Amino acid sequence: MKKPKVAFFDFACCEGCQLQIANFGEALFDILGMIDVVEFREVMSEKWNGQLDIAFVEGSITDFHAEERIRQIRERAAILIAYGSCAAIGGVNGMKNTFDLEEIRKYVYGPEYHFFATEKTKAIPQVVKTDYVITGCPVYPPEILVVIKAALQGTSCSPPDYPVCVECKLNENVCMYDRGVACLGPVTRAGCNSWCINNGNICYGCRGMISNPNERGAREVLEKHNIPLPFVVNKMNLYNKCRE
Amino acid sequence: MEYNISRGLSVQAVVEYERMVLFGVHTCDLAGIQCLNMVFSRRPKDYNYLIRKNKIDIIGLECNDYCDEFASCNLVNANMPSGGYDLFFTDMGDYFIVHINTQVGDQIIDSTKLFERADRSHLRELVTLREHKRTLFRNEVSVEPREIPELFDKTFESEVWKRLDEKCLACGNCTNVCPTCYCFDVIDEVNLELKGGRKYRKWDSCQLEPFARVAGGENFRKERAARQRHRYYRKFRYPVPIYSRFFCTGCGRCSRTCMAGIRLKDTLNALVEEGITKVWKKWL
Ligand code: SF4
Ligand code: SF4
Ligand code: SF4
Ligand code: SF4
Ligand code: SF4
Repeated sequence: MKKPKVAFFDFACCEGCQLQIANFGEALFDILGMIDVVEFREVMSEKWNGQLDIAFVEGSITDFHAEERIRQIRERAAILIAYGSCAAIGGVNGMKNTFDLEEIRKYVYGPEYHFFATEKTKAIPQVVKTDYVITGCPVYPPEILVVIKAALQGTSCSPPDYPVCVECKLNENVCMYDRGVACLGPVTRAGCNSWCINNGNICYGCRGMISNPNERGAREVLEKHNIPLPFVVNKMNLYNKCRE
Repeated sequence: MEYNISRGLSVQAVVEYERMVLFGVHTCDLAGIQCLNMVFSRRPKDYNYLIRKNKIDIIGLECNDYCDEFASCNLVNANMPSGGYDLFFTDMGDYFIVHINTQVGDQIIDSTKLFERADRSHLRELVTLREHKRTLFRNEVSVEPREIPELFDKTFESEVWKRLDEKCLACGNCTNVCPTCYCFDVIDEVNLELKGGRKYRKWDSCQLEPFARVAGGENFRKERAARQRHRYYRKFRYPVPIYSRFFCTGCGRCSRTCMAGIRLKDTLNALVEEGITKVWKKWL
């Protein structure tokens, strides 16, 4: 089997998810043995303009130029993977959608703001057909492997559609709510193996909401623990503002 | 199971087990293990489970009083010992009475040389302790156990399930901690060379959104109410004709762990309140 040609592209993001690849350690060599990386700005200077087997796309679409560029990448790529929360669900860039576009443009670019076109933030699947998504801010390395393998085999694969609490309990953590701390685990998609809670932190909801969250039930839990609703809604807005 | 396709297909079954002793297992959990033994001994038998189980010795421990307010072990008759152990300890204050139930148990007693034969007075004290227990442990739900299956038949469309729909966060914790929940998913994990890999089991739960979702996107239990109802029916209704027992051991873990405050005793009591007048056998 000829090694598939793989490229990494980035849009509005911090490039932290691309760095996660470099953080792989030894497994990185195994991965590089299977794929032929032809473009990866974070680690190499070569460019590639031909057809691609797999395009990893990081970041969200925030203006006209980006929209045009992602369409071109889509045309060249047999498989397109939305890589990281910015790409998969809009991520932190979605916070822009809370504000009036004119106002936020003025605030960011100053008096010459009209030179800088902008649009509402969109996740990659909201603009082009997306074959796989890897959500997370940053992405969870074991999940990258699962998706790469699925892409190479042509099998389907999507992030779990149940809350982080499932993995959290299997990891035998003490629930944050029992310590009087608000945690977004009950409404956030699992798949990170409750990464943050295992390390003593709360879940920030970085993987985005599950498809059918129980908002009323979550509100009752907050009331029981005397946690004000706006406090948690603010936290939710950090990653979920591109949700339609 | 491990497989490799480098040179033809080779498949190898893998059984993971280790020799161990479970010490201090309460009667509710002994009942839980008995339930699982019945399930996994049905055809097709689950050899992984059965081989593993054969390597495990069990030492039980009697509860002299309730562990906490969530337990409902009396309702399902799991607060008194009824087998399922090699040895069973009862704390008599100054000493333990140990019931030897199997040859393995006998060997443990012999080789430790820590025990002496109980005499009549000890056994009388055990009877007294059990009698006292009968005054402490009372039916935790206002229903006769024999009425429960019919109660469930009559409350399938109950408002009680709708209330659970509003509360439940579908986190699966109640099933993850339940000693008689055994649902699993099978994961196919291929290695990076795509030449081999392993298939293994991973816990699953009927409370999770994708559990009853099938090809084409249809979901047979899309509503949380239907999923909660399913959990309760799996404990109090469906196993009854198959195994002649409830699959709830009254351990109380599901109630203890639920952050939404869904309590098994409250649910049963609410069902009783709504539906007991429709239960026909009550008058027999
Ligand atoms: S700590 Fe957070 S993720 Fe874990 S069980 Fe509690 S709410 Fe869920
Ligand atoms: S625990 Fe929450 S915030 Fe942390 S990685 Fe998982 S989804 Fe993201
Ligand atoms: S533990 Fe509670 S909230 Fe979680 S699935 Fe069970 S009943 Fe629902
Ligand atoms: S249903 Fe609840 S009380 Fe009954 S055995 Fe399961 S965890 Fe224990
Ligand atoms: S539920 Fe509690 S009191 Fe009842 S048998 Fe189990 S541990 Fe003992």
